[in-house]
Amino acid sequence: MAYVSMGEAHRRITEYLNRFCDAVSYQDSSMLCRLLSFSSNSPSLLSLADALNVFQDASSLIRQSDKFSEYGEILAHLFRSLQSYRVGNLVEAYLAFEKFANAFVQEFRNWESAWALEALYVVCYEIRILAEKADKELTSNGKSPEKLKAAGSLLMKVFGVLAGKGPKRVGALYVTCQLFKTYFKLGTVNLCRSVIRSIETARIFDFEEFPRRDKVTYMYYTGRLEVFNENFPAADTKLSYALQHCNPKRERNIRMILKYLIPVKLSLGIIPKDELLQKYNLHEYMNVVQALRKGDLRLLRHALQEHEDRYCIVAVFLRSGVYLVLEKLELQVYQRLMKKIYIIQKLSDPARAHQLKLEVIAKALRWLEIDMDLDEVECIMTILIYKNLVKGYLAHKSKVVVLSKQDPFPKLNGKPVGS
Amino acid sequence: MYLATEAMTILRVEILLTCPSSSELALLCVLSGKESQENACVISQCLRGFMETPLNHPQISLSRRTLSAADVQASDVRPLSVLEETLSYLLSLLDSREHPFEVVHDFIFDRTRSIRQDLSIQNLASEGVIHLYEEIVKFHVISRQRLQGCSGTSISSMHHLNMEQLAKTLTTLYNIYDANRKPDYIYENEAEFRSLYVLLHLNTSSGVMGEPLSLWFRKLTSNLIKSKEMCFVRKLLRSYRNGNYRSFLRTTASEATYLQYCISEPHIREMRSFAVECINNVCYKLQPYPLLRLSHNLMMKEMDVESLCHECGLEIRTDSDGSIVLPTKQTNFCRPKEGFRNYDLIGIEVERLL
Repeated sequence: MAYVSMGEAHRRITEYLNRFCDAVSYQDSSMLCRLLSFSSNSPSLLSLADALNVFQDASSLIRQSDKFSEYGEILAHLFRSLQSYRVGNLVEAYLAFEKFANAFVQEFRNWESAWALEALYVVCYEIRILAEKADKELTSNGKSPEKLKAAGSLLMKVFGVLAGKGPKRVGALYVTCQLFKTYFKLGTVNLCRSVIRSIETARIFDFEEFPRRDKVTYMYYTGRLEVFNENFPAADTKLSYALQHCNPKRERNIRMILKYLIPVKLSLGIIPKDELLQKYNLHEYMNVVQALRKGDLRLLRHALQEHEDRYCIVAVFLRSGVYLVLEKLELQVYQRLMKKIYIIQKLSDPARAHQLKLEVIAKALRWLEIDMDLDEVECIMTILIYKNLVKGYLAHKSKVVVLSKQDPFPKLNGKPVGS
Repeated sequence: MYLATEAMTILRVEILLTCPSSSELALLCVLSGKESQENACVISQCLRGFMETPLNHPQISLSRRTLSAADVQASDVRPLSVLEETLSYLLSLLDSREHPFEVVHDFIFDRTRSIRQDLSIQNLASEGVIHLYEEIVKFHVISRQRLQGCSGTSISSMHHLNMEQLAKTLTTLYNIYDANRKPDYIYENEAEFRSLYVLLHLNTSSGVMGEPLSLWFRKLTSNLIKSKEMCFVRKLLRSYRNGNYRSFLRTTASEATYLQYCISEPHIREMRSFAVECINNVCYKLQPYPLLRLSHNLMMKEMDVESLCHECGLEIRTDSDGSIVLPTKQTNFCRPKEGFRNYDLIGIEVERLL
């Protein structure tokens, strides 16, 4: 911390107070955003924090002027938070910021127009980030992390303030997204349900009115929830929306969407190009995609199993929630393999190509280092036919699958297997 | 000292257990207090317990505790060692042949809830506590299996309540595993008990414990994911979700522990009826499917396969060579109703845990 004289500290604090009060008086939201954004670590905020730590009694400065004292409660808590933040005392910083946020939201309620929405967004963002940092501090000190949960409650309160008929309602989706991020971090995603219900059913909200950026984030998170619930058509709709409307320059965001959309699309029989995987650094799906293209069951199983010599890929898929989606691709890989056998047979003996001997299938699997007896091969073929991945019938006595002459390997056409 | 009269009303039932020797439990029951219908029921339970088993019997049945958390005083709560003895005795009754299983279940059910209450009040989290919760989970799992074989109007609600308590006990157990966990450490039986969650959620629509499986998997540590038990249930999950009945049954037979097998039984039934449905649907009409072969694939006795086919609404017939076959492409297939009978899984070798 650089040395700051008392005089300089006084000057910095007064300057900030003036800026704050002017921003409110002139409804200058972007100025207010800059004044509240702790996580930006802007030089002006850091130097203010140093000044506050030197001056120590900023409250007296606030009380001295009617202009400042009008927002006395807000500013006192804000300053306390900033002081703690600067010295790395994040739990104290969070606690003070929470009090500031409560006071700010009260004031926001009284402003009739929605001029301060962007500033409110900053407050919501900052409280979540500070809460995460505070919880890290608590955990490292062997205490129970609880601040993010508290931040979630405050965000719900803000949602309630915005869920009204006036112009402020367009801010509700931003706060919803902050809530999603909070609940996903906490692992309490079931709590998303109530706020989703409000957004999707309350008459005061028109989804199209919300800012595009918030709609994309909303669809991303609700799409992910559909993946968790294994509701793939709905997941496809939402994640595809997010992808289509995402700013193409936001490559990091596109990657995040694709991370979930790709497995969903795969489960619907739609395979991405390798260039897409490479462009967005989604190498974890390369083997899975290759396995689907080639009917290589060995490659799929290898792609979904642990590697002792590198990071646990299964853990990666499990943590992101796509593991179960990928496991279900096995039947499609079998279908592709059967199709390959059929194509090869058609080249050598077209008259008999439509008869797949179970023994031949078992042999193909052995080439892929998968040892499967005829009973299990029969079982697999039974399922493939039953789920309409193969058209035909099983002549079990002759140990042959007789394929339909027309379209024996129907495409999924955007529907999940078996639907 | 034992006191009980019809006129006596109850505030609390206090049970003190002393163990003068390793084979004896002495029961002390003190009754006093205010009226309540529930407490009258407690008295009758106490009376029954005492009438059934004399005081000098080495193993004495225990009365039900009906304390609410608000009424509890420190002296009311049984210490861990007493709870361990109590539970050990209760579980020894599971194989009792004197009474129908639903009566035994009911008796143990109430008392295990009370044990959990005492544990919860004391907020303990030691290896001993973990062991107790694991034993209670075992009770609920085994009960789930055995209640299937019982009949009566109350069985359905008993089953429902049993599942409810299984879910609660598992949730508590998982919380205790997670609390104060050292990095990279898993408890001795943790992997097996975690695997039960997967087996309870093989079907996407079963919301036994509320959280979808995809979400639940996120919280597992790497060590747990790589454990033998979790690899087993993931294999089972893959087979189940892909409909691979052959792999499902074979894997269960060769790798399941007794607890895992008990939990898997409804899915074994489900996969078998699914297999019958598939075979009926896809096989060549002019080649009826031999039941002997089906019994081999479904790891069942041939006569059990006959019974299963009937439950699925399908007819079987005897072929010209005397073998029993399932004619395919029948249109009457229906999924067997809930609560249909268990069939043995041929080839499974599990040691019963209790």
